Amino acid sequence: MITGVWTVFRKELVDALRDRRTLLVVLLSSVAIGPLVLVLISLLVSGIEKRAEAREVVVHGIEHAPSLRNFIERQTYTLRSAPVDFERQVVDSRLGEAVLVIPAGFEAERARGETPVVEVFSSTANPRSQGSAGRVLRLLQGYNQEQATLQLAVRGVSPAQLEAVKVEQRDLADPASRAAQLTAMVPFFVLMAMLYGALNAALDTTAGERERGSLEPLLMNPTSRLALVLGKWGAVASVAMLIAVLSAFSFLPGQWLLRNETLAAMFQYGWREALLFVGLLLPLAGALAALLMAIAIRCKTFKEAQANATVLLLVVSLLPLVAIFNQEGEAPWHRWVPALAQVALMGRVMKGEALSAAQVLPPLVVSVLIAVLGLVFVARTLRSAVLK
Amino acid sequence: MIEVQQIAKRFTQGRGRRARTVLAVDGVDFVAADGCITGLLGPNGAGKTTTLRIAAALLPADGGRVRVDGIDVATRPAAALARMGVLSDARGLYPRLTARENILYYGRLHGMSDAAAQARAELLAGMLEMAPLLDRRTEGFSQGERMKTALARALVHDPPNIVLDEPTNGLDVLATRSLREALRRLRDEQGKCIVFSTHIMQEVERLSDHVVVVSHGRTVAAGTVAELSARTGESDFEETFVKLAFTVDERSHGTDGAAP
Repeated sequence: MITGVWTVFRKELVDALRDRRTLLVVLLSSVAIGPLVLVLISLLVSGIEKRAEAREVVVHGIEHAPSLRNFIERQTYTLRSAPVDFERQVVDSRLGEAVLVIPAGFEAERARGETPVVEVFSSTANPRSQGSAGRVLRLLQGYNQEQATLQLAVRGVSPAQLEAVKVEQRDLADPASRAAQLTAMVPFFVLMAMLYGALNAALDTTAGERERGSLEPLLMNPTSRLALVLGKWGAVASVAMLIAVLSAFSFLPGQWLLRNETLAAMFQYGWREALLFVGLLLPLAGALAALLMAIAIRCKTFKEAQANATVLLLVVSLLPLVAIFNQEGEAPWHRWVPALAQVALMGRVMKGEALSAAQVLPPLVVSVLIAVLGLVFVARTLRSAVLK
Repeated sequence: MIEVQQIAKRFTQGRGRRARTVLAVDGVDFVAADGCITGLLGPNGAGKTTTLRIAAALLPADGGRVRVDGIDVATRPAAALARMGVLSDARGLYPRLTARENILYYGRLHGMSDAAAQARAELLAGMLEMAPLLDRRTEGFSQGERMKTALARALVHDPPNIVLDEPTNGLDVLATRSLREALRRLRDEQGKCIVFSTHIMQEVERLSDHVVVVSHGRTVAAGTVAELSARTGESDFEETFVKLAFTVDERSHGTDGAAP
């Protein structure tokens, strides 16, 4: 039995690894894409940060408000005059900043004790201008406060009267969990790479074998059906794991390419994380391999199997979204759903949290169960599959 | 020696109310002796492939039994398969493996050591005149090259009994000749028991020591070519076959056999 399993395993693995073209496509599309996206995100974040660091205010009509100009420049901001068609540019997202517009009679109105109206133009459809609008509004608040404080001081009132409460904002997210928001896609990429890695091998050893007409002669060997199925499954799961390992470790060099220092500092992904990813995915690789084989063994051709497997691919890629759309956060039943549980656990790994047995065991049990059921189904279907 | 005793096999086609039972084999009966080539001759759909599949333990029979060198195929399939080399109707190879790897794979599945399987592969390659093919990947092989590789694969464990389902299907005249030659040598030099199925009379005439005519799922006649011709009083073997395999009605309407 063991010799049989080993023989089939060795042959299927060699066969799968010789399918260079398919492997290359999987490697390029699944393994390389993750780090690439990471680098692109880092470029995006760098761009946002650069704009935040620029300390620049785009303004129209600053010549009407020397006192405001004085205040803004004292806050070490530089002023840039807005282009004539700034409204159009903000709408089209060509201008990444909010625009401050000052009316002509600004200083005169102030002198009369009236409240001049200044406008801040931004667009919610233009997120960069939104971020900049927040900065401009804070600057204007500061200006208001300074002016009020000066007025009160002249009248001998303590500026403290102006503040009933003092507010200090504290961000409870540590750097790792802040980065997890950005890097939440890493587990998803690794999972999908693994699934696509398993797909071809699983289909080739089942539906492919039927299509070639090599399954019938194979079953005329004295090797038991279970040994055949176990050998095939072992090879498919190994290829899936190989791709998962490559994908998980591809993020290590990927992060060296990070173009953004803050993100690089926040993106804590080292050997520990990569190894934990692989450990978490190992049982799932077995389950998905068995599931794909069970789907494909019922199909006469590779093409038919591909069409049927699409359903599984879709389900596995949609399951992790449950956690995103679920407003209540992580629910206990998530642990029992394959793919969803693994992605959630990998998310925890990325946040630097420790994993408990209670978190790791349910997905492990479910994966083993799926693998066993899938393999029993394949072994039972094998003979009838030949004859149809 | 392969003994097929009164085997029967029913298939159910369709589901639910439309289900229809088809009797594919109902009383095929023959003995294939060692050192003898037995030809299973029958029209398309006569039940030849089903019979050979039952003999190769791929299908369970609904009635009767098959014994290979005294071993019951139904109760001890692994032991029976170890004494049989089967070249089935489907003879797919693994295109990314070389011919040698295809052969060695089956050798290992039969529990042979690597060295023994290698030696057998070389020997068979010599016998089947396929030595130059051995280390080429089977992708792009011609029909004849495929057949040789599949045959070598089926014979890798040196089985005393050889079962071939329509072995000359798709082969050109030279490939057919070389296959015939190889089968004769296996019979004469090693005393193998060889059973092959075909619907081509010439094949049977040229190769068989013993002919079993199968029609409508049962054995309708058995004997040497000469004996069968004498029985029907025909000098032409084609006429003999038509007389034996088809009913008078079918002969006048020119229809095929009944069961799939």
